[in-house]
Amino acid sequence: MPEPQSTRRAVIVEDNDDIRGLLVQIVSGQGFETVEAATGSEGLDLVRAGGADLITLDLNLPDMDGIEVCRRVREFSDAYLLMITARADELHRLEGLETGADDYISKPFSPRELAARITALFRRPRTQPAAVVPGEDEQRRAAEVQRSLLPSEPLLLDGYEIGGNCRPARSVGGDFFDWYPTPDGLQLTLADAMGKGMGAALIAATVRAVLRSSAGQADLDAAFRGAGRELERDLEQSGSFATVFHARLDARRARLDYVDAGHGLGLYLAGGNVSRLPSGGPPVGALPGSTWRSHSVELAPGEGVLVASDGLLDAFGSVPEAIAAVREAAAQEATAQGACDAVLRLAGTDAAADDVTAVMVRRTADGPAPA
Amino acid sequence: MQFTVERLPDYAEVNGVGKLNMVAAPKLREVVADVVAHGSNHVVVNMAGTDFMDSSGLGALIGCLKLARQAGGDLRIANVQPQVQMVLELTSMHRVLTPYQSVEAAFSNG
Repeated sequence: MPEPQSTRRAVIVEDNDDIRGLLVQIVSGQGFETVEAATGSEGLDLVRAGGADLITLDLNLPDMDGIEVCRRVREFSDAYLLMITARADELHRLEGLETGADDYISKPFSPRELAARITALFRRPRTQPAAVVPGEDEQRRAAEVQRSLLPSEPLLLDGYEIGGNCRPARSVGGDFFDWYPTPDGLQLTLADAMGKGMGAALIAATVRAVLRSSAGQADLDAAFRGAGRELERDLEQSGSFATVFHARLDARRARLDYVDAGHGLGLYLAGGNVSRLPSGGPPVGALPGSTWRSHSVELAPGEGVLVASDGLLDAFGSVPEAIAAVREAAAQEATAQGACDAVLRLAGTDAAADDVTAVMVRRTADGPAPA
Repeated sequence: MQFTVERLPDYAEVNGVGKLNMVAAPKLREVVADVVAHGSNHVVVNMAGTDFMDSSGLGALIGCLKLARQAGGDLRIANVQPQVQMVLELTSMHRVLTPYQSVEAAFSNG
């Protein structure tokens, strides 16, 4: 039996009413006074206002990522923090991450297991943060953070399938891909920041964040122009630039609108043929004040768009050769993910090579027609 | 990568031999900054000996172009090799950094 300590306060952050109720019941049973929040921001407010000895935190909250909540909590609280995830495979990913959480548990959990974890947490002395992080460790953590910025879950969209893969040349790199659902379908990005290593990775993270924040704007050209202006300021400072392929899929119309900012490797795969999608302007940050033109491509059943980063080209003598190889490799693969994996294999595994990344959205050949 | 500079009446010619990559990029910036600082704001980068350029190299060329333009001049490139040409076209930068057939042709139209 745990020692009851009447003053201990727990903040339960969980958006699902049933699970929250269950958590409250279990944690109260451990002698805590409990308060509840259904969103990350409410949870933060509760911890800020009344303090906490224990926080249980759901990873997937409606308003913000649990990792972000965790990070913010750590700015002002050293409460024991137990992260709760919906999936066991996320657990593995989280355990490698420096999130600031003390322990993780995945749903479904048994009341007994949760109670045992809490008891174990309070047996642990509060550890001091590591004073100095050696360079190698920092690199490893940077790589983990960067990996955590890639989409971790498949995006399920009726009538389409999507895949992506990214391999940095060093522990971190300037390439990334990103996707997320939108009311009409999905938004998809592949970008390549100038250079390699940590500097490029920082720029890549900025590009990702700015493009994500542009998703709410209805007009793609205006959204990209706005994001471009925003990024130019940062990129100008560092004398850098990023090539970007940024697209929005309207699932019902089977239409992909995209902006290619100096990227040049957007490939339209249709019935065994491949063609390069036209560019809409220079890389972002290369020439301040640039404008970009969006284009559209209609996807018939079985057709798709695959975007690769220029790391692919290192293994080939010319762009046409590389594109022909992608066409052949993609034709062998049944899924978008398989095609992306195959593109990474084409690029070879030379450690000294560039970052290489591929992302693909494909309309399924035989699936249900887009709703 | 080794750079040499030749000052001519109408422009300065910068020659680079080797790979224009992450290592060489800052050197090129330095060389061109020096050229511009000494009064030559018209610069031709002769790329006959540059068999490879990566994104950092392209970044350096763009930086040098800005530098020359800020000084009221321009930077042009000549004798571009196939891989460099590919990078320029892929990034749509050939519209701004248009390759010229020869160093002499770069500023022949003023």
